Amino acid sequence: MPEAHLLQVRDVVRTFGDRVALDRVSFDVRPGRLTGFVGANGAGKTTAMRIVMGVLAADAGSVTFDDAPADLAARRRFGYMPEERGLYPKMRVIDQLVFLGRVHGLAPAVARARALELLDELDLGDRTTDVLHTLSLGNQQRVQVAAALLHEPTLLILDEPFSGLDPLAVDAMATRLRARAEAGVPVLFSSHQLELVERLCDDLVVIHEGRIVAQGDAAHLQQERAGARIRISVDGGTDWLAGTPGVRVVSQGARGAVVELIDGADGQALLVEAQRHGAVREFGRVVPSLSEIFREVIR
Amino acid sequence: MTTETSSALDAASAASDATAPSRSALIRTIASREIWVKLHDKGFIASTIFFLVIIVAATVIPIMINDQTHDYRLAAVGEQATAVANVAAGLHTSASSGDVPKVTLTMSSAPDRAAAEALVGGGKADAALVTDGTALTLIGKDAVPDDLVILVKAAAAQTDVTRVAAEAGLSSDQVQQLVAPSPPTVDLLNVQPERAVPPILLVMIFGFLFYFAVLTFGISIAQSVVEEKQSRVVELLVAAVPVRWLLAGKVLGNTALAVGQVTLIVGVGMAGAALAGQSALISQVAGASGWFLVFFLLGFLMLACLWAVAGSLASRVEDLQSTTMVMQATVMVPFFASIFVTAPGRLQEVLSYIPFTAVLLMPARVINGTAAAWEPWVAAGIVLVTAALFVILGARLYEGSVLHTSNRTRLVQAWRSARGGAA
Repeated sequence: MPEAHLLQVRDVVRTFGDRVALDRVSFDVRPGRLTGFVGANGAGKTTAMRIVMGVLAADAGSVTFDDAPADLAARRRFGYMPEERGLYPKMRVIDQLVFLGRVHGLAPAVARARALELLDELDLGDRTTDVLHTLSLGNQQRVQVAAALLHEPTLLILDEPFSGLDPLAVDAMATRLRARAEAGVPVLFSSHQLELVERLCDDLVVIHEGRIVAQGDAAHLQQERAGARIRISVDGGTDWLAGTPGVRVVSQGARGAVVELIDGADGQALLVEAQRHGAVREFGRVVPSLSEIFREVIR
Repeated sequence: MTTETSSALDAASAASDATAPSRSALIRTIASREIWVKLHDKGFIASTIFFLVIIVAATVIPIMINDQTHDYRLAAVGEQATAVANVAAGLHTSASSGDVPKVTLTMSSAPDRAAAEALVGGGKADAALVTDGTALTLIGKDAVPDDLVILVKAAAAQTDVTRVAAEAGLSSDQVQQLVAPSPPTVDLLNVQPERAVPPILLVMIFGFLFYFAVLTFGISIAQSVVEEKQSRVVELLVAAVPVRWLLAGKVLGNTALAVGQVTLIVGVGMAGAALAGQSALISQVAGASGWFLVFFLLGFLMLACLWAVAGSLASRVEDLQSTTMVMQATVMVPFFASIFVTAPGRLQEVLSYIPFTAVLLMPARVINGTAAAWEPWVAAGIVLVTAALFVILGARLYEGSVLHTSNRTRLVQAWRSARGGAA
C-alpha cells in the first residue's frame, strides 16, 4: 500500500525589492496525482518552487508537508529539479550521484546501488564513470533526473522537466513521473508546453503575475469553463441550424458545426431536432483546450 | 510492469534506508568531496610533487656540495715544484686540515715547462706547477680552481718556512711549531644553541609555505564555491544542507588538505635532512615548527571563510580575479612582513600581535628566541578570536550571496539578504 503525501502552500508572499513575485499564493499538490504548474514567463513558478524547496525564504505564509511545516528534515526527502540544471561538470557521473545521495541522507553503499540502478534504467549504464561535461546535454538531463529520483523522494518538484527533451524522452519521462505519482508521491511540474500538460496532468495550477488564477482537477476545470457551446455533425448537413430558434451558429463546415445555445435553450431539444434531419454523428459540449483556458484566465 | 513493482518496493524500503544525517555526517560528506576533488586534481598533485622535489633538493644539495671532495690533477716540473706539490697533496691530512679545502691531488711529472703546458692544454692535467729557480708559477688553461691555488700557496709557504728554519739550525720540533702554530680557542660568554641554518632562512621558508598554502587553497575554496554557483548545484545542495554547514564542510576539507600538504612537505624535508646526516637541522626545525603549525592552522581558518565569501560574491569563475583581489593582498601582507621586518624591535613586537602578521611574525620571534614563553599563547588567542569573528561574518555573507547567481554581488547586498536564522 503506497503511503500518501500532501503538500500545501498557504498564503505565501515573496517580494524582491519593490516587485511582488508571489502574492498570497495558495495551492495543494495531492498524492497520486501529477500537478501541472503553468504560467507565463516571470509569473512566479520558479520562485514558488524554490520556496517549497527552501532555496528561497517566504516573506509570509507557510509550506506544510503532511500537515507539518516543511522543515529541513522534510525537504531533504524531496526530489528537486531546478530550472537551470545543476551538477558538478568535472565530477564523474556515479561519484556525484553518490555524493548527492549522501547529502540526502543515504548510506554510501545504498546511494551507489540506487544510482547504478537508475542510470541503467535511464540507458546510461555504460556512462557511469564518465565525467559529466563529456556527456551530451540530453544525457546530462537524464543524470539530473537520476539526481532528483535517487533518494526515493516523498515529493517531486520539477521545474520545466520536459524542456530540451525529444518526443521519445518526453514519453519516457512522463511514464516515470506517472509511476512515482502512483506510488503516492505528489508531483508538481512546470511547463510551457500546454498541450503536454493537458495530456499529462491530473491537477492544474495556473499562476499569473504572482497570483493563482485557477487550480483544481484539470478535467473539472475544463468542464467548468466549457460554457454552452456544442459541436454537432449530422448526415445530410447542418444547414437547417440557421433557422433553429435558441441557437447561434459559431462556425460551420463540411465536418459539422459549432453552435452556442442562447437564452437558456435546451440542448436536448436541439439533439431531438438534429435527429429529425438525419443520423447524428457527433453531438457534444465543446471542451476548451488548456491553452484556451490559460489565455482566458490570464486576460 | 516489473519496474513499477520494483520502484514501489524501493519506495517502501526508502523509509528505512534514508535516515536523517547528523550535522557532522553532512559536514564530513561535503568536506570529503572537497578532498576527493582536490586529490584527483592533476594541478594539485603536480604542485605537491614539485614542492617535495624542491624541499629534498634544498636539504640534500647544499650538504652534497659541502661534503664533496674535488680531485685535481697537478703536473709538476723539476725538483722544487715536485716538493711543493707533495706538501700540498699531504696538507689536508695534516693537523690543520680544518682550514684547508677538501681536495685530493693526483700528481704527475713533466720534463719541462713546454711539456707541462701541453698536458694542461690537452686536458690531461688541471694545472701545472713550474719554477724558474726562484719563483713558482701555477699554469692553468683558462682558470686555476681557487681551492688549488689556496692549497699550493699554503704548501709553498710551508716549504719556504721549513727551508729557512733548517738553514737557521732550528730543531725539527721548533720547525713544527713554526709551520703549524696552535691557534687560540674561542670561548663564548653567551652561548647560543647550535644552528644548522640561520633562523631568518627558516622564517622565510615557513613564511613561503604559509603564503603558498593559503593562496592555493584559498583560491581553490573560492573556485569550488563559484563552481557550485555557476553550475547551480548549490540550489540542489541548499535544499538539503543548511548554507552554514556547506561552508563549514568546504573550509574543513580544504584545511585538512592544506595542513596535510604542509606537514608532508616539512616531513619529507626533515627525512631528507636525516638521510643527509643533518641532525642539528632536524632538531632546530622540529623545535620551531610546533608554533608555526599552530599559527598556520589558526591563520588558515581565519582566512578560509573569507575566501569562500570572495568566491560567493562572484557569479562566474571569470569574476574571481576581481572578487579575490583583497584576499590576495591579505595573504601577501604577512608574507612580506615576515621577510622585511626581521630585526627584533618595537615594530616586530607590535606586528606579532596583529592577527594577519602575527601568523608568521610570532613564530618568527619564537624561533629567534626574542619572545617570552607566554607571548605566543596570547597572540594565538588573538588570532583565534579573529578567526571566530571572521567565520561568523563569512557565514552570513556567504549565506547572503551564494544564491545570487545572476551577477556579481556586492558585500552590502550580501549582508542584507542573508536569511536571519532560517535553517
